[in-house]
Amino acid sequence: MSHTGEILSNEVLKDKYCRAVFRAPEICEKAEPGHFVHVMIPSMRDRILRRPFSICHAGGSQLTIVYKVVGRGTEELSRLKPGEKCDFMGPLGVPFSLPVEDEIPVIVAGGYGAAATYMISERSKNKGYLLLGARTEKDLILTDNYKNNGFEVRVATEDGAVGTKGLVTVLVKELLEENKGKNLKFYGCGPHGMLLALGELLITNEIDGELSMDQMMCCGIGACFACVVKVKDNNPDGWRYARTCKEGPVFKASDVYYGRT
Amino acid sequence: MADLRVDLGKFSLKNPVMTASGTFGYGFEYAEFFPLDRLGAVVVKGITVRPVHGNPTPRVAEVSSGMLNAIGLQGPGVDKFLHDDHYMPFLKKSGATVIVNIWGKSVDEYREVAEKLEAEKDGITALEINISCPNVKEGGISFGTNAAKASELVAQVRAATSIPLITKLSPTVSNIGEFAKAVVDAGSDVISLINTIPSMAIDIETRRPKIANVTGGLSGPAIKPVAVRMVYEAAKAVKVPVIGMGGICNADDAVEFIIAGASAIAVGTAIFTNPMAPIEVIDGINSYLDRKKIASVKELCGTVDIRK
Ligand SMILES: Cc1cc2nc3c(=O)[nH]c(=O)nc-3n(C[C@H](O)[C@H](O)[C@H](O)COP(=O)(O)OP(=O)(O)OC[C@H]3O[C@@H](n4cnc5c(N)ncnc54)[C@H](O)[C@@H]3O)c2cc1C
Ligand SMILES: Cc1cc2nc3c(=O)[nH]c(=O)nc-3n(C[C@H](O)[C@H](O)[C@H](O)COP(=O)(O)O)c2cc1C
Repeated sequence: MSHTGEILSNEVLKDKYCRAVFRAPEICEKAEPGHFVHVMIPSMRDRILRRPFSICHAGGSQLTIVYKVVGRGTEELSRLKPGEKCDFMGPLGVPFSLPVEDEIPVIVAGGYGAAATYMISERSKNKGYLLLGARTEKDLILTDNYKNNGFEVRVATEDGAVGTKGLVTVLVKELLEENKGKNLKFYGCGPHGMLLALGELLITNEIDGELSMDQMMCCGIGACFACVVKVKDNNPDGWRYARTCKEGPVFKASDVYYGRT
Repeated sequence: MADLRVDLGKFSLKNPVMTASGTFGYGFEYAEFFPLDRLGAVVVKGITVRPVHGNPTPRVAEVSSGMLNAIGLQGPGVDKFLHDDHYMPFLKKSGATVIVNIWGKSVDEYREVAEKLEAEKDGITALEINISCPNVKEGGISFGTNAAKASELVAQVRAATSIPLITKLSPTVSNIGEFAKAVVDAGSDVISLINTIPSMAIDIETRRPKIANVTGGLSGPAIKPVAVRMVYEAAKAVKVPVIGMGGICNADDAVEFIIAGASAIAVGTAIFTNPMAPIEVIDGINSYLDRKKIASVKELCGTVDIRK
């Protein structure tokens, strides 16, 4: 279903990351952590495809997305002024499931992933961890917001400028070491390589998790088969292509296919 | 309210607007946007003998006023299509008029799909033979660019089924009229065109092709003038009805194709931008006819005035 959302504010959050707030009550009502919206960005007459963005926050009638300016669409989006309108499809996709009982949420994110998983920190009754990986300090977003929600934030940067030097999986290994015997519930969103590394690491440690995968997306509702990722299957090949927009974006780590073919 | 019914020889449709194969899934996904029986017909994504994985990702790239795709005909295979709840059983329940797009790597594979559909043809209005997919190594376009091979293929499918046949032509031939005649002579009841145009886009930072298949098919508004010209030429060449498609986004585009000679049209890529596009096109054609005081859409077909 599509809805019109009026921009209430649209500002730089940090460096190339921006935060846009829309009035979109119909979407907010149904939004769960991990859902995304498929946005038609006006003022791009020669661009025909919508752009998918995860819902970062949905409160009352206000819908927030956090986006990184990476190309034409996100650049045009960053220029939109309050009062202008976008057409939305959504909320779309399979959401994350919130922690239950004594499960401690551990969010592993890179880039805009910290925005895509943010609603978990808002809605989980148990507090947990954000393990954030980034190339440089510039890609670390929303850390204070997570802290305000009672989450402990640990950071790894590739250049070592902030936090641990290296990849976010180093932080995951440390955390697993510290929390032996505890009931950890892992969530991941970030670059594809990071998610595959995280998924394999979890499986080696005999724990499952939920990974939000992102691929170049087209229709957003499962009709065109553009945005596929490999998942395990009991066919002779052992895998099949699943649509991230419809069967995902959130997949169980144990369902993702890690083989190289 | 104008009369929107169209006659496609062995079958007729309640209005001239269909969905282009591959852009509307199997109908299921769009049923929450509008009732599928409002459409002239639902054309489903290409069905093959066996399930197909499709191509590696990225499978799509956006370009000016269009997109490239190389999905590689991922699909469930004909048996699952006929029996799994999400496919044919769902479409039957929806009341939609169903056209099944078929594809194979060899003449035998095309014939085999046609035979299986023939055996359970309840609810299937027509088959659309895709001889023009640019994104698969075998089959597909290799039939679409060789008139003798295409005729042979159509004749074999014709022999396998009594379901009305539409042959979907490739834009990559120099004489579309000749090609259209060849497939009609071989037994095709209707022709449809155009499929996507083989194209390429490169990321200049990485020097990598923007889609994993290297080349892909161009669709969307960018190809509309090419499609209008080819529909015009094909409709002049054959007596059977022609279904036009390629970049149709709104009713004005659809009317242009009908004036060029299309009896019916299909909306494709535009659905990705606006899922309601096919319905808006139906309503808009009606408004155009009312405004022009034309009683029936049939009267508009092929009325382009080319007098000097
Ligand atoms: C389910 C889902 C949720 C997403 N959530 C967010 C979010 O919350 N915040 C955010 O900043 N981004 C998010 N993205 C990515 C975002 O959709 C793309 O960055 C955006 O579409 C790029 O548009 P553009 O016109 O600016 O870039 P383009 O000019 O189209 O492309 C510029 C560059 O961005 C890359 N790109 C384009 N589309 C995607 C994509 N879908 N995924 C990854 N890279 C892409 C291209 O390969 C290219 O290198 C999400 C993607 C998906 C599939
Ligand atoms: C993502 C995508 C998938 C397609 N898959 C098929 C297919 O399976 N079979 C087929 O005959 N045509 C397929 N096509 C071609 C369309 O049916 C249509 O001929 C073409 O896109 C031109 O129309 P358009 O510009 O309105 O999209 C596909 C097109 C797109 C964009």
